[in-house]
Amino acid sequence: MINSVRNTVLAILNKNNYGYVSPSDFNLFAKQAQMDIFEDYFTAYNYYVVKENARQSGTGYADVKKGIEEVIDMFSEENDLTHDTNNKFFLPSETTTGDDYYFVNKILVVGTPTLEAENVSNKNITMLTSSLLTSPTDLFPAFNQQGNSVFLYPTTIDTQGNVKCQYIRYPKPPKWTYVSLSGGEPSFDQSQADFQDFELPNEGERKLVNKILQYAGMSIREIQAVQYAQAEEQIESNELK
Amino acid sequence: MAYITQYQYYENGGTPPTDANWGSYQYVSLFDVVNNFMLMYQGNNSLVNNEPRYKILFHAKRGIQELNYDAFKEIKVLELNVCDNLRFVLPDDYVNWVRVSAYKDGLLLPLTENIQTNYSKAYLQNNDCSLQFDVDGNVIDTESQIDADRLAGTKKSIYLNQGHMFDGLEGYCCDGEWYFDYSIGARFGLNTETANVNPTFSIDRKSGVINFSSDMADQKCILEYVSDGMENGDNSKVTVNKLFEDYIYAYIEYAILNSKLNVQEYVVNRARKRKSALLRNAKIRLSNIHPSRLLMSLRGQNKWLK
Repeated sequence: MINSVRNTVLAILNKNNYGYVSPSDFNLFAKQAQMDIFEDYFTAYNYYVVKENARQSGTGYADVKKGIEEVIDMFSEENDLTHDTNNKFFLPSETTTGDDYYFVNKILVVGTPTLEAENVSNKNITMLTSSLLTSPTDLFPAFNQQGNSVFLYPTTIDTQGNVKCQYIRYPKPPKWTYVSLSGGEPSFDQSQADFQDFELPNEGERKLVNKILQYAGMSIREIQAVQYAQAEEQIESNELK
Repeated sequence: MAYITQYQYYENGGTPPTDANWGSYQYVSLFDVVNNFMLMYQGNNSLVNNEPRYKILFHAKRGIQELNYDAFKEIKVLELNVCDNLRFVLPDDYVNWVRVSAYKDGLLLPLTENIQTNYSKAYLQNNDCSLQFDVDGNVIDTESQIDADRLAGTKKSIYLNQGHMFDGLEGYCCDGEWYFDYSIGARFGLNTETANVNPTFSIDRKSGVINFSSDMADQKCILEYVSDGMENGDNSKVTVNKLFEDYIYAYIEYAILNSKLNVQEYVVNRARKRKSALLRNAKIRLSNIHPSRLLMSLRGQNKWLK
């Protein structure tokens, strides 16, 4: 998809003689655009949950929320958390699980059965652990987050392999790769080791083009390109409502 | 939790204690209650949403505690010997008593709670009645006279038992009739409230003991009591009778809606009514009223002496 997006962006810019976007600039804009759209999925998800609560959404093909859920789940990962000391475990990161997390959905304490630990705010965790009725137990474990770590309760949860995390990772930064210049133009080559396509579904292509156009327009100081992309985005946004 | 095989039920899979699962099918575990509620009654498109699990757990436990106090009718029974100190230490999971009995000569004798106190705290006093204090400024405790008399067996009782104030008094036989001395203010006829020959008791809740009258020394006491069902904090053992399962969900839902901001009053009321109706239904079911039971009672309705 990345080549198609790039060609479209360049075609729009060239058609109006707005300018040219280099591969390195394109990659920067592409990463930014992908992140924007990725984050929008969560906002849209909440929007459709609210609509559903107000009985303003349908089922089957009209169930937009389900579609968004599926897109978000494309970024879902489940990995063991690396144990630090005592009941402290490292949250997912490039160094521990191989990818940074955007959103920790749940933390699981492995056992028979595997149980979900509850996320408790730093404000409440002290009171919770000293509560007679609700203090965390093996059956109802809890965790709280501090920095890049989580603390599991009861504190007997303290061994590597004991704790798993299901989370939504960040999309990988897209990279449009090329090998040689032919006639002044870089030639697209997806066989490069560092090639990375967009991770968004195909329906996101139009959004990506518009977003990248906005960034490119800003870059080449061409306000018309920005306005054109914004207008396109607005039309698309209205279509959804 | 998963269903178990019959071998697991009857023999606990061969692991002692083999009776661990007997009767377990009557109950639903606390874990299942919380899990089911989170799954079925909580979330987007539900009345309850964005509530942490510990809140659900709290209300589930509170509901179970309340049910244990009266609705469950799950009476625990403990037998202990009452020694010379005339004391029965309340069980560790005691909340309230149902019946206290003495087990004597193969018979269970229900005991009466003394309408008067039979224990007291006392401070050490000088001859002029002033109090004595220790170096820290605290008043010095001592044994009260009432406790000393009770332990020595010299305390008199208003009950018609061994310790009664007229028990053992000599009388006069005149013209073949026996007459006894009565104090000023003597009464005629029987005070049924105190007409019990068995030992009496008084519960000192704060001290966590039942204090008995002296005639209970060296006898076996059987205490029937209710607990709160929290099983000493072991969540895996906390259960609810299945007849009350729906009630517990309704109770949790009501408890949360009732304390949540911006919930319409009619929604709260609906939840309250549902909770109350389900409790009533469950109590009726648990009471096991059925025709054959009524028949046995009704068969005796024409008897003159019962």
